[in-house]
Amino acid sequence: MRISTRGKYSLEALLYLALLPEGDFASTRSISENTGISDGYLEQLFIPLKKAGIIRGIRGAQGGYLPGRPIKEIYVGQILRAVEGSLEPVACLSAETCPAESRCITRHTWTALYKEIADCVDSINLQDLVESYNTLDQEEYVI
Amino acid sequence: MKISTRGRYGIRLLIDLAEHVDEPHVSLASIAERQSISARYLEQVAVILRRAGYIRSVKGASGGYTLARNPADIIIGEALRILEGDMLIIDDLRPGEAESKLQHCVRTTVFDRLNKRISNVIDSVTLASMLGTVDPDASYMYFI
Repeated sequence: MRISTRGKYSLEALLYLALLPEGDFASTRSISENTGISDGYLEQLFIPLKKAGIIRGIRGAQGGYLPGRPIKEIYVGQILRAVEGSLEPVACLSAETCPAESRCITRHTWTALYKEIADCVDSINLQDLVESYNTLDQEEYVI
Repeated sequence: MKISTRGRYGIRLLIDLAEHVDEPHVSLASIAERQSISARYLEQVAVILRRAGYIRSVKGASGGYTLARNPADIIIGEALRILEGDMLIIDDLRPGEAESKLQHCVRTTVFDRLNKRISNVIDSVTLASMLGTVDPDASYMYFI
């Protein structure tokens, strides 16, 4: 039950952008140099993130990307849904296509699990990530 | 970010066996039919659950499977981990593997929390509670 690299890399790239001084932007090349994510992959991830208004692009040779709205209004859940799609642990929860829905014994558990996942990712925003980043000691990490 | 069919079908196999405890054993073919799952795939799932001690096979012409444990003692989270390998949202850091401060921050702020909350949910559900037999006085019915 994994989050894909799309979700993982998107969170890392967004945290990098959120750490920039307000109003600053970064090119995919500099994001790539600072996160280790290839700029081709970043370009790919930025398409749905831009569409969702999570990031904003600045055009031009000196252009780049920045958070699309104040970072405390950007939630982890929004980022993950933009690049991963639905966060349901099983595909049958919202589809309402399952003929066994009314008598499905597992449905209650999967629903509870989904609610817990959604509550968790919808309660953490980029401001929270920035704050916990700032409490970490720089010395211990590579790159 | 999905539970695979192996996990889902494995849980349905356990539920089906628990619902038919009054029978000495249940054939996989009948479970496959009731649950609309291919019998061949169900057999693979049954092997995993048998090796882990959740179900027991009954040999013979009219053979099949039966639960090896009381449904109140089968924790859904543990069964899912057996079926799925683990129930983590992201791979653990390999020994010696380094991570950047950014990666570490995302892991501890998001993924560790998410893993913990997922575990809390699935480890609080037993096969018996899933079936609605949380009353401990009623669970004797399922003792085999």
